[in-house]
Amino acid sequence: MNLEKMMDLPGALAAFTYSDRGELLSHVLREGTELSPQVLDLLAHSCVANLAIASMEARGWEAVTGQTGFQPLKGFSVVGLEWSVVVNGNCGVVVRNRDVDYEATFNAVQAA
Amino acid sequence: MHIVKQLMSIPGVIAAGEFAYRGDRFSYEGALTDEYARMASILCRGNTLSVNMQSEIIDSFAENCGCRPVQGWIVRGGQVTVCAVGNYFSFIENRDELLNDVMTIMRAKVGDLHDDLLANLYARLGGDTKEALY
Repeated sequence: MNLEKMMDLPGALAAFTYSDRGELLSHVLREGTELSPQVLDLLAHSCVANLAIASMEARGWEAVTGQTGFQPLKGFSVVGLEWSVVVNGNCGVVVRNRDVDYEATFNAVQAA
Repeated sequence: MHIVKQLMSIPGVIAAGEFAYRGDRFSYEGALTDEYARMASILCRGNTLSVNMQSEIIDSFAENCGCRPVQGWIVRGGQVTVCAVGNYFSFIENRDELLNDVMTIMRAKVGDLHDDLLANLYARLGGDTKEALY
């Protein structure tokens, strides 16, 4: 997993990897950003939880409605005021909202 | 043009709607039944409340770090993506550039959300849960 390559995404402020339990394993931060390793660790924990919840919702939705296409989950993003975090698997990227390319970012975390 | 109608005019948008912050009143257009739209509205409100709670925790460790208040969230599925911005949601196909277009429109039409969103989200459920918004 190449975090430096993730930082080439439009508006990337940080890239990070985390364990299945949400512990921050590695990270790269853009110089001058307000983000810190502590924030990334909290983000990683929340992202693991959100991915699990979204996966449960996708399974439940498909089972109840008969609609398909929600599984397998390919990522989750929270859109904040100034930046968005996009995660999938054990990798995440924080991208500035005014520059973000959600398609490219989801594709990047999916390929990681 | 109303945001839901504008979203539904885009090829690849399966359904779009609006949910009430204070309960599960809703309106929608597209390929959902009333019951599925009601379920989607509850799901979207629940996720919105959850990510707002998380952003408050993160903000308590790094004030003004840029995460709060949360504007929305996206779940990327295999062939379908669910987007929520404010109290609007859309189900869209995974087509090239559609997600970027939909998010741009939703962010532009809804505008930046402010902290009063939380007061509404944290308010207890009430009212007629079958009542439509419009």
